[in-house]
Amino acid sequence: MENVLEVKGLSKQYKKGVYASKNVTFDIKKGEIFALIGPNGAGKTTTIRMISTLLKATEGDAVVMGHSILTEPGKVRENITYLPDEAGAYKTMTGKKYLQFMASIYANDSAAAAEYVKTASEICGLGDRLDDKIGSYSRGMTRKLLLARAIMSKPALAILDEPTSGLDIINALDIRRMIKELASQGMSFLLSSHNMLEIEYVSDRVGIIAKGHLLETGTPSELLEKHGAANLEEVFERVVKNSEIL
Amino acid sequence: MKFFNLLKKELKEMLTIQTIATLIIIVAVLSLAGSALTDVIEDAVEEGSKITICDEDNTEFTQSLIKTLETVGGTENEVTKVTLESKDYAKELKRLDITNVVVFPKGFTEQVQKGEQANIEYVGSMTSLSTMSNVGFDSETATEIIKNAIEAQLYSEKIAAGKMTEAEVMQMDSPILVDETTVVADKSAKISSEILFSLCKMQGTFVPIIVFLLIMYSSQMLLNAVSTEKIDKTLETLLSAPVSRMSVLSAKMLSAAIVAAVMAVAFMFGMNNMTNSFTMGADASQFNEVLEELGLSLSAAQYLLVGLQMFASVLIGLSLSLVLGALAKDIKSAQALVMPILFTAMIPYILSIIIDIKTLSPVFKYIVYAIPFTHTFMASENVMFGNMSLYWGGFVYQIVILAISMTFAIKVFTSDKIFTMTLSFGEKGKKRKYKKA
Ligand SMILES: Nc1ncnc2c1ncn2[C@@H]1O[C@H](COP(=O)(O)OP(=O)(O)OP(=O)(O)O)[C@@H](O)[C@H]1O
Ligand SMILES: [Mg+2]
Repeated sequence: MENVLEVKGLSKQYKKGVYASKNVTFDIKKGEIFALIGPNGAGKTTTIRMISTLLKATEGDAVVMGHSILTEPGKVRENITYLPDEAGAYKTMTGKKYLQFMASIYANDSAAAAEYVKTASEICGLGDRLDDKIGSYSRGMTRKLLLARAIMSKPALAILDEPTSGLDIINALDIRRMIKELASQGMSFLLSSHNMLEIEYVSDRVGIIAKGHLLETGTPSELLEKHGAANLEEVFERVVKNSEIL
Repeated sequence: MKFFNLLKKELKEMLTIQTIATLIIIVAVLSLAGSALTDVIEDAVEEGSKITICDEDNTEFTQSLIKTLETVGGTENEVTKVTLESKDYAKELKRLDITNVVVFPKGFTEQVQKGEQANIEYVGSMTSLSTMSNVGFDSETATEIIKNAIEAQLYSEKIAAGKMTEAEVMQMDSPILVDETTVVADKSAKISSEILFSLCKMQGTFVPIIVFLLIMYSSQMLLNAVSTEKIDKTLETLLSAPVSRMSVLSAKMLSAAIVAAVMAVAFMFGMNNMTNSFTMGADASQFNEVLEELGLSLSAAQYLLVGLQMFASVLIGLSLSLVLGALAKDIKSAQALVMPILFTAMIPYILSIIIDIKTLSPVFKYIVYAIPFTHTFMASENVMFGNMSLYWGGFVYQIVILAISMTFAIKVFTSDKIFTMTLSFGEKGKKRKYKKA
């Protein structure tokens, strides 16, 4: 099967000698949901930002739909959407205006833009509140709006940093279902999370990252079996503990 | 006790390193302005005791009058005699390298002898609209000194002769009539420099205010826009979308510039209306003609020149704001980040109102000239008084600075510095760190 994303030895140094991410290698197939899990400061966001062409990689490369982040960042951006962790939106815009504005940037023509806005309006479930200013939204409402924005254009790869943080269980469940649904239609996802239960439920494969190193990758069931654990939380604990030896 | 702790917390939050830095800089700027001012005042006092005379009457009376001038008023005056070759005062002042001259015209002695009010001419030049530049040996001082000298002369003559007539007592009251000419650049007109100065004061005061507000407002606007985008991470969203970073950058810059331009036009329009209603009022139309004659009311082309430098300053402020906004880590640091622009604009703003920056001591002058905003604060004055080489020099300098700061801003925006570069004021507001990737 075709790889939507191929990450090859990606490393990042913010300061000389200190790796925030070191030699990270993995790939994501079409229609696959891949999750990076790891403790705070592990290098999840750093890795994601490099793939999203926001940060320059110190070493290594990543290829999205055949386009390298090093040589063709513009082409990469045409194939991805990125939802930053703890992101906000333009507070003085209404939800609808925000969706229209973002749609105009992702779409090639106004028909496509209108289609995106329609999709996003349905997905976000904000109803009439879409006509209110974003400044008046709760954290969860903003998050849903941004999530809807990230998937409305049905990119080849949606990169979502902590997609359900700040959402209640019902909304988080909704979002997970939606991600699974879109993946079944052929969209690929790169997620990051702290929430192991969620990841176990939603991901096809996970990568455990700590101190910038991608320690293990595999399907949740593979990892559970390998470590003789009852759930991903235990796997995670064992892998990270072993990694202290690193 | 609870209140005390609350108060302590509030004070701690308000008395941050930024507030303290602001205070220190304000004190420094004011002290610097003070010492610059002292120099200027000293110069003015020194100038004030220098009297230049053109004696066209050349009689015994005028000769002894000039001798009296050297000691009159309780001070040692330095009297220089010059000869004016023509009535083109602008040219003559320039040729003789002097700023003012008192002329005793032919027939002066005769008038005094007849007991009439005697005419003298005072030619002064105006080089700046700043308050302090017009302190010094002006027509009033000249009149006063010469009046004293004539009184001294007449007293010694008449009293020696025995008695004074009634007319002579009258004459003593105001022995001379001053015909005042003011030179501006290469033009001159029969008007007192004091009237001229008060007519132009509007421009001298309001143009700097407008320039200052314009720079501050547009910079603050862009800085807020960039820093909120960075803090809210909407910038990350935009820059990962299929648009080039340059178009994100130029859209921001351009919109701020457009708003600034609209503001500039509105300000100019408002100011023009205000000065118009001011000069139109009463019997000021005669002054209007003089102002135009002297080039002190700006023509459309001159407004354009001033506008050009205004725009250059605004663009420099904007490109600095782009970089500074990218440095912001949170709302608090974003507010502090406007400080560098605030102070670099405030120094020439205050100085240009008080003193003629051209006359500062060289070291101080070039420090002030190095601030690119300075040239805009001097623009309307430079255009009015015909200091075109200063204007164009300043403009070229501004373009160079603009090119450098734009290049830097583009570099920050198109590299990942925009996400890795932060300037934080330490956790407890104690130390400053520069984090660069
Ligand atoms: N702009 C930056 N400058 C310097 N160091 C940074 C910068 N951003 C992140 N780091 C460092 O890089 C390392 C990895 O950070 P990263 O944000 O990638 O972690 P993360 O896995 O996303 O953590 P979290 O779960 O808390 O979001 C951390 O040690 C962090 O301090
Ligand atoms: Mg993170």
